Amino acid sequence: MHYVKLYFTCIKRSIISRLEYKKDTIISILSFLFSNACSLCSIYFILQAIPSLKGYSIAEVGFFYGFSMLPIALDHLFSDEFWLVAYRRVQLGDMDMHFLRPVPVIFQMFAETFQPDGFGEVIVGVTMMIVCGINLEATITFGAVFVLIIGAIFGAVIITSFKIIFSSLAFIFKRSGPLLQIIYNFTSYAKYPISIYPKFIRIILIFVLPFGLFVSLPINTLLYGSYNPYLLSLWIAGVAIIFFALSVFIWTRCEKRYESTGS
Amino acid sequence: MLKKYKPFLRASAMDLMAYKFNILIWVIVTIFEVVCLIFLWLAVYSSSEGGMDASINGFTYKEMIAYVVLTTVFGFVTFNNDTMWHINQDIIKGTIGNYVIKPISYRGKFVASNLGSFLMMGLLFGLPLYGISLGVLIGIGFLPIVSVWDFIAHIGLFLVSSVLACLLNDTIAYLFGILCFYTSSAWGLNSLKTTVISFLSGALLPLAFFSPIFRDIVGYMPFAGMSQNPILILMMKYDYWQSLKVILISLAWLIILELFVKLLFSHAIKKVTVQGG
Repeated sequence: MHYVKLYFTCIKRSIISRLEYKKDTIISILSFLFSNACSLCSIYFILQAIPSLKGYSIAEVGFFYGFSMLPIALDHLFSDEFWLVAYRRVQLGDMDMHFLRPVPVIFQMFAETFQPDGFGEVIVGVTMMIVCGINLEATITFGAVFVLIIGAIFGAVIITSFKIIFSSLAFIFKRSGPLLQIIYNFTSYAKYPISIYPKFIRIILIFVLPFGLFVSLPINTLLYGSYNPYLLSLWIAGVAIIFFALSVFIWTRCEKRYESTGS
Repeated sequence: MLKKYKPFLRASAMDLMAYKFNILIWVIVTIFEVVCLIFLWLAVYSSSEGGMDASINGFTYKEMIAYVVLTTVFGFVTFNNDTMWHINQDIIKGTIGNYVIKPISYRGKFVASNLGSFLMMGLLFGLPLYGISLGVLIGIGFLPIVSVWDFIAHIGLFLVSSVLACLLNDTIAYLFGILCFYTSSAWGLNSLKTTVISFLSGALLPLAFFSPIFRDIVGYMPFAGMSQNPILILMMKYDYWQSLKVILISLAWLIILELFVKLLFSHAIKKVTVQGG
């Protein structure tokens, strides 16, 4: 309870400092909207030229794309500080203050920034899902909706876990931003149905870097009833919890190697 | 006259050398992205009505893959300026004042450093990257060469349009940089700039895929000359006449935009608030 209160206090401070640059915040939310709109236009233009993409209609791919934005956006809202850790903060050694406070450092990282840009993605994603969802031919069951919600939330947890793992490597190598970038960019593979990839990439996307797991499989469950929604939910949540626990473990191990600048 | 800008040209080239490792990481990131796009395009063509041999909007799947690969290399070599970031830093730290009183033009400084990094990038990474990708594409028959001389002439035209693309990109970055005078922060503007350029320049998708009216409008905007046109010249999809036409359009835009940013700068410099200094 104490932590919840603390979190909101910190977040309030973060938002206030961000609003110092009001015009910039508005522009950056707009630019996220715009950038997603552009990718959607591109996909629309591509799909217009063909009857269907490996059996997925335009509405289905649109729904897919909209849904894939949600876990990415949720992660973006809450854990943007880890980028700074990976790229700059450990290298510059300016994290002393976090180590002096009687709260876990990893908690402070979450509380440090709340990134309103993510709302742009949430808005586009949900709009896409509604617009394309109306044109879907699938029968929407409670189980399918449930597994989509689980996929979005725990998908974000999985992305965040990868962010934590690779940014904590900065404590060892001083700078792990580029490495994090490589791993993070794999989320773009999650934007399309995994059936377009060859088998070995599919296996990687489900078992190793599970970015396909929480987007493709829930949507196939909704559209074609391919999997049992509750078992799939359990699987996604389980994977997310394991990765998150692992990431916190790695972080707490690595943070001990933090070196201050001494000045 | 131009001599005083030479140090900036050299400094930015040296700067790039110092960050070879970062560039290598970007190569890896980019390769994974290109692989993803290639699979997407293969899926698109195999699901099309004509099958794998279909030509969609004038592109066969071989040409499409060549386009994706070359556009990526092009963006990598040509668009590596940090003009906008430097302007933002000058505003935040107040160092912009130094340039107002020095006998060099603020704009000229950026043109010089941008050309410097373009040259260095081109020699250090451009040559091998273009060499490898063109070699592979030609080798596996994705980019058929009918006449060698014709190809060499197109490479010449491509180089001209590359330099123009690089300058256009710098001008637009500078334009957005000046807008930072009004917003005091570059974060939002920078992502807006990147998106506008990558979408309208055809880096995401050739403009031929856009709906007809939209395509014609975008075709006459400065962006098409920043990515799509140079690549289509290199791929010999444009004949000499078309190539010349798009190069002239780029040149005209470059002049218009330069005049515009000059006017805008003289207005914006009056707005600047140096914070602390």
